[in-house]
Amino acid sequence: MTDLKLAQSFSMMALNGQSSIHMTTVKKVALRSMAAAVILEVYLDSGFTEAEDKLTLHKDIRDASHPTLYREAVIQSLIHKKDGAQGDLRWWLKRASNLSNKKLKKFEHAMSDSLKELSLLEEIPGLLGCDLYYDSAGVEMKDYRSNIDAYTRVSENIRAEILEDGFVTDEIICMLWLLRESGCMHDFFSRSELEKVNARMNELYQSALLAKALFPIQIHHGIELGIKQFLHLKTRFVKTSIGSTINFFFPMLERSKAVFIETEAWFSNPNQRLNDVITRLESYGHEVKVIEKGSFSTIKIDNLVYDAMPHYVMMKVPIQGVRLMPKRPL
Amino acid sequence: MSRQRSMESILSSEFVSIGELVRLTDSRYSTLKFYTEEGMLPFEQAEENLTRRYNREETVTRILLIKKMKADGLSIPQIKEALNMDT
Repeated sequence: MTDLKLAQSFSMMALNGQSSIHMTTVKKVALRSMAAAVILEVYLDSGFTEAEDKLTLHKDIRDASHPTLYREAVIQSLIHKKDGAQGDLRWWLKRASNLSNKKLKKFEHAMSDSLKELSLLEEIPGLLGCDLYYDSAGVEMKDYRSNIDAYTRVSENIRAEILEDGFVTDEIICMLWLLRESGCMHDFFSRSELEKVNARMNELYQSALLAKALFPIQIHHGIELGIKQFLHLKTRFVKTSIGSTINFFFPMLERSKAVFIETEAWFSNPNQRLNDVITRLESYGHEVKVIEKGSFSTIKIDNLVYDAMPHYVMMKVPIQGVRLMPKRPL
Repeated sequence: MSRQRSMESILSSEFVSIGELVRLTDSRYSTLKFYTEEGMLPFEQAEENLTRRYNREETVTRILLIKKMKADGLSIPQIKEALNMDT
């Protein structure tokens, strides 16, 4: 079992299920947060010297002699800018999260290569490619899939530390901030758990220096993160805040996909329907685990959970099949 | 700053947290929390610190045993009975 660095752990979660070929909006948000994770990783490893609230990179990190290419891809892009590489944590995080598309792409390759070397990431045919329209059109789509065990280990460790009373490490403080900024909170916590997360983040904000410095910083772009959900959640969380605390809003970004898979036989029973779906998904290289069987089944595809419900689409003739709907923790 | 412990350091310590047990056994947090609440995983809790501490070797062995019994088709009350507990 390898000890992963912060940026590697976060990238495994952020890249999972993202298109590996196209630069989608969701992937761009993930990459920006991953670049910020690199800064936090260097910060936690004492790679900065702090003087008068300004952070300066240590010489060995600045000189690009570091063996990790993904760090180099971010750090070199930042220190090449003319106005000097010095600023507070907010400045570094903002700069890292505003890299150009070209630099983000280069960083994506460096990070995905590092994870692939550790067998923690692979490219598989995209889930959307199993959809009736894409499948019949022969469109090639590829997605990243994180190693299922490692993904569970990282995500459950975050849940354990934040939902359990007591001590929270710096890595988890950074992870919470990164999950919030990349709009992924809702993938890992249910609504009631999010209220507890909010309360815990408030406690940390009062008691931990890192949280105090980090939590008020925002690198996400409102338009990209579905402002509607943001406002909806705001009203929920206002209830839970008290006096001097601040509210940490959790913007949400939809990362899973709704897919329609046609079934072979008309009026097939739930088991046949489910088998047809599993056959299609497995033929595309997906790992499928049935969590609950029935007329509405719940299945885990790679690292995400979906509801499989009977559905039909109207073409010249109606086509019967199954609609896969993303399922979040309740 | 309080950093996360490396796997090497976790494997050499007598007591671990629930988050570290998650990492050691590839189990879900909610599952371990449920086992703890059901009294299947004994823990220590210092008064001044709310963090539950589990004896590493004993608890990991017990989790693996519970996983095996579950795979063999035993229900939770049966597992608790097998672990010599009152249901």
